[in-house]
Amino acid sequence: MLTYALVAGVLFGLYFSLVGIGLNLVFGVMRIVNLAHGDILMLGAFIALGVVTLAGIDPLFAVPLAFIVFLIVGLLLYWVLVPRLQGSVNPEMLSIILFFGLSQVIEAITTIFAGTSERSIQSRLLGTVFTTIQVKWFGGKPGRGGPIQIFGQSFPAPWVIAAGTSLIAIGLVYLYLYRTRLGTLTRAVMSRRDEALATGIDVDRVSAAAFGVGLGLAAVAGVFAPFMFGSVTPAFGADATVTSFAIVVLGSLGNPLGTALGGVVYGVCYMLVQTYLSSWADLLPYVLLILILLLRPSGLLGRQVRVA
Amino acid sequence: MPSALRHLLFIMAPLVVVLAVLPGVYQNHLLLFNFVIFLILAQGVNIIYGFTGYLPFGYVGFFGAGAYGFAIMVMHLQAPAVVAVVVAGLVGVALGLLLTPLLRLSGAYFAIANLAASLAVLHLVANPALESITKGPYGVSLTGTFNPNSAYIAALVVLALTLAGVVYLKNSSFGLALQAVREDSVSAAMSGVSVVKMRVIAWLASALVAGLAGGIYAWYVSVFYPDNVFSGDFSIFAIVFALFGGVATITGPIVGVIILYGIYNVIGFTTPQYFQLIYGLLIMGLVLFLPAGLVSLATRRGWHVP
Amino acid sequence: MSPEAKPILNVSKLVKRFGGFYALDGLSFHVAPGEILGLVGPNGSGKTTAINVISGLYAPDGGEVAFDGQQIGGIASHRLVHRGINRTFQVPKPFMSLTVRENIKVALSYGRAMVAPPAINELLEQYRLAEFAERPASELNSAQQKMLDLTRALATRPRLLLLDELAAGLNPAELDWIAGHIKALAASGVAIIVVEHLMGFIEHITDRVIVLNAGKEIFEGKLAAAVKEPQVIEVFLGGEHAA
Repeated sequence: MLTYALVAGVLFGLYFSLVGIGLNLVFGVMRIVNLAHGDILMLGAFIALGVVTLAGIDPLFAVPLAFIVFLIVGLLLYWVLVPRLQGSVNPEMLSIILFFGLSQVIEAITTIFAGTSERSIQSRLLGTVFTTIQVKWFGGKPGRGGPIQIFGQSFPAPWVIAAGTSLIAIGLVYLYLYRTRLGTLTRAVMSRRDEALATGIDVDRVSAAAFGVGLGLAAVAGVFAPFMFGSVTPAFGADATVTSFAIVVLGSLGNPLGTALGGVVYGVCYMLVQTYLSSWADLLPYVLLILILLLRPSGLLGRQVRVA
Repeated sequence: MPSALRHLLFIMAPLVVVLAVLPGVYQNHLLLFNFVIFLILAQGVNIIYGFTGYLPFGYVGFFGAGAYGFAIMVMHLQAPAVVAVVVAGLVGVALGLLLTPLLRLSGAYFAIANLAASLAVLHLVANPALESITKGPYGVSLTGTFNPNSAYIAALVVLALTLAGVVYLKNSSFGLALQAVREDSVSAAMSGVSVVKMRVIAWLASALVAGLAGGIYAWYVSVFYPDNVFSGDFSIFAIVFALFGGVATITGPIVGVIILYGIYNVIGFTTPQYFQLIYGLLIMGLVLFLPAGLVSLATRRGWHVP
Repeated sequence: MSPEAKPILNVSKLVKRFGGFYALDGLSFHVAPGEILGLVGPNGSGKTTAINVISGLYAPDGGEVAFDGQQIGGIASHRLVHRGINRTFQVPKPFMSLTVRENIKVALSYGRAMVAPPAINELLEQYRLAEFAERPASELNSAQQKMLDLTRALATRPRLLLLDELAAGLNPAELDWIAGHIKALAASGVAIIVVEHLMGFIEHITDRVIVLNAGKEIFEGKLAAAVKEPQVIEVFLGGEHAA
């Protein structure tokens, strides 16, 4: 039971890292809390649903689609919203309210088009592309996407696929931040925004890119949401935002790679509570978030402390 | 005439009198009651956000805690409704005290932590393990105290007291000092203001207001579930109404409630998602084009708005 | 001026650390009522940190701060304001959305001035803010915001006033004007500590200076004498090279 909880916790944790990392990237670069983050996840889930129901193909194809669509959406939104915001008296407070409004708009529009019923995707559909390739190239019979064995315990295949995708995505974020020019500038803006401005870095371009990538990553995380949480509704966004915030704060705000650690810690806690104290599991994200904010506001890896 | 008295006579008194008379001429009692509740909550948000600068995304936590404080007093101690309402207010204050450490956080951190706190209280109250105390997720039924007319009057009393409190803030050096703390806490301390004390007082006052409102709400509806009284809509509506009108004023939140909740009732009940869409767009438009609320249309022209 | 008077502020062996960095490393000095003391030194030498500790923004990590014979290290800022200490900020942050008059009113109402607080209109006139009295502080330019910051401090009737780069950014005429005000305040019995980079200004208004380097005092006395000290010259030139 413990082994199961720990392995499941790590699998979920890697996925949770992906859930939070976009939020943290946006916060780190722009000092803006994207309260519509969870709603972007929700939209990512609907892209996966669309891919399955309209095209009838493996929902994994929704991953690149969701990323590209929301990268573009993010760039557009950035240019529409942010410059006006940053010219105001209190951009941080107003950004919270603005993105809260955006989250309401997204939820409402999705409800109008999709209704409030719970949507799910059959978990065997995820990853069919692998079995198809296997059959085509190596022969053999098309098998069912059954559970995957780890340490003698079996876990649903989508958990493993989501965790794997998350690892790849985090790796790519690392490469972006540490191996590309835009990424280096991004880190410069994250650590010292005013100095970056003073040294002539095009902060707007860096921020827009971070906003686009952040939204893209959220949408990618959303593709797996129907498999990880069973189903999604248009109202899924609000809870997802709070959970993401808990993960991000746990890892340390403003440090996207810290989110990977935060996600895993969160995932393991989540599974342990689920296993041993299931009736209190709902309380976990909230209590954890408050405790971390109060006891170690800089997060597990952070250095900056931020208090009023 | 001192301006505080003028505000009481020309803003608070007419509003309360009109709301007291309306049930005699207008049939939809529940709607009027909800108006009063939102007027109270919007002013509660005004106290903590408008004057102090803390955005309470989890404001409904106090409201729900008050409702359950009322319910527990009535169910387990057979308390009279008025006593239970007072206890509801105290439960709000107690929760506020418990959450005072959150005031160390600023900006988004406070907003999110407060939201998390309200959700934690919801999940605590709704936990089946506490069924013997709160009835868990199964909801409470308080038919013994059911009396909408008395509850409505109680709501008006709380509204009058809340408005009087805001009039005081608007006209006193205490209210000025709160705003100073909101603008810059270090300069405020260097003006001799005890920053922590001021914040805690405003926080507890706004918790008291929401706790009382929650208790009266429980009294009025008498049957409810945790999801009803802890619904995030209460926080959201109260914040949006207050912001729309303009915070740190007496009239702003009133105007906000009357206009927006009015619109809500015209289009809201049959298709909630359309209202959600409209107020979502409204919030965004507000932040982008009118961040100081409707009253700023007047203040920009140099008119003074109480 | 009575520099021989009993000191109102006694700082001894003051230590303030940030992580492993010693911003103040055993600093001692004193100021008497009516005296104007200058704190000078290169950037990062601990001048502003000293002011922040004395005004209660930071608690000291060692040593003592005595004001009026009582230990005040670690006491909250607003309490120190009530006892008669106040300061201005290098980058003033007035209450932007409040009017200039309201800004001062907060300090008048909460400062608990020991003697009768000054009249608000008089302060506004003296510091050239009268015409903006009913305008929000956000409309002031930075020199005017500094003056507002000073009037905020004066509204609490301080007996010890700490001025952190008040003169930076003022033109020569304004410098003379503000120097006159500072000297008049000292003459009325206020003890004043001035942190400033403008040496001419320091020379003109101070009775005595303390030269700081790396959180320690390296010279005390007249500024004219300080600039002849090899150690002081070394620190300032070395400081420039390092910067």
